[in-house]
Amino acid sequence: MRTKMITLCVNGRDHRFEAPVNRTLLQALRDDLKLTETKYGCGTGECGGCTVLMDGKDSICSCLTLAVEAEGRHITTVGGMTQDGELHPIQIAFIEEGAIQCGYCTPGMIMRTASILANNPTPSEEEIRRGLDGNLCRCTGYEKIVQAVQRASQMMDTTQIQKSGGMGQ
Amino acid sequence: MSSRVLPQFDLLTPQSIPEAVAMLAQHQGQVSVLAGGTDMLVWNYIRKVKPAYLLRLSGLDDLDNVNYIPGEGLRIGAKAKVVQLLDNPDVAEKFPALFQAAETFATPQIRNMATVMGNVLRGSPAGDCSCAILALGGQVVLQGPEGERLVDIDDFWVAYGVTERKDDELAVELRIPEPTSTTRSAFIRMTRVHEDLAKLNVAVCLEINQNTCQQVRISMGCVGPILVRLKQTEKMLVGKQISDGLLQQLAASAQEEIAPIDDQRSTEEYRRQVAGVILKRVIEKAIGAH
Repeated sequence: MRTKMITLCVNGRDHRFEAPVNRTLLQALRDDLKLTETKYGCGTGECGGCTVLMDGKDSICSCLTLAVEAEGRHITTVGGMTQDGELHPIQIAFIEEGAIQCGYCTPGMIMRTASILANNPTPSEEEIRRGLDGNLCRCTGYEKIVQAVQRASQMMDTTQIQKSGGMGQ
Repeated sequence: MSSRVLPQFDLLTPQSIPEAVAMLAQHQGQVSVLAGGTDMLVWNYIRKVKPAYLLRLSGLDDLDNVNYIPGEGLRIGAKAKVVQLLDNPDVAEKFPALFQAAETFATPQIRNMATVMGNVLRGSPAGDCSCAILALGGQVVLQGPEGERLVDIDDFWVAYGVTERKDDELAVELRIPEPTSTTRSAFIRMTRVHEDLAKLNVAVCLEINQNTCQQVRISMGCVGPILVRLKQTEKMLVGKQISDGLLQQLAASAQEEIAPIDDQRSTEEYRRQVAGVILKRVIEKAIGAH
């Protein structure tokens, strides 16, 4: 087994561990770090279930990223959106709008929403729908998810997002 | 057959272009180059490729940028992501076909990961950025043991999934020439559903003076094993005033010039029928765009 010692910074915490070089970021999160909130969906970058944030802004598919390639970057999962036990406004908006049914797509939806709002704090409905292109939900039909993104945008202090340079830790 | 686990490989992480080229030469034929990974890792998952080594570009500086250089044109580094085309105002203004291809390219997550060069190196006849680049014209810069060579984009794809790049060469940059004040370009693609690969795509780049076409390059995808220029159709357009009648003739010519097949995304018959229609539309879109 070809392995490498790597350090991953996830949700503001450094984790140092030995990983096989063919480990994806998703496998490292779920199987090495036991952070199972990020989901495996299609494994080919089409469903968005494995979406995480890089450096507070860029949403990427963790199933198509090698763990070693994520070294030196700040990774945020949905677990990192909660601060001191307080839900993030995006999480609250998804709950209040009922934008969750089975919940499998929700971690990816939340992280993609974080990316949309980090890059554009006040998106139009069209921009939200285009922005969610890469996240599939098989239950809700997207209407409530779009409303949740709109509500999150209204709830959040946009100047704070811009000042902190992104979402998460 | 997809697997949730990637095959075993060793990683190569060169710190300079010469080191990367030396590694490619040393392990010739056993190396896959990893940049964005959105195609390469999927190919590994499905065991379409099983390289002994993955050569990562992460350690190489200076390949990240999309730069417009006045008087020369656009320079796209091998590590530049598709999203960078959308973030660069010069691309939107001066290379609209490429901007429009990037806009519809895959999904936001994939645009954040996939490189423009990767799309070209994939050698797919459905590549959206590749289709736009073929219409705009340009060159691929390759670094090999003997130094640098430039391959015209017209000659770069030789068969399905096969390019002019040799195993010991690293593709480092794409160059797209400077447009003039009379250059117009546009891109259109058709898909079954939005995030799908194209079932047909087309790009056009024209030199237009008082509604007369002086030069044109038309590229079409998903109508043969590689992206193609519609050279017969281009000839019918040069020196002519663009009119509804001429557009009809071009549409008929395009249908004759392509060689589509039936596959999971469309049929030969359908592709032939719509090829003429989207050619007309892309020319109208290009002329309308300033």
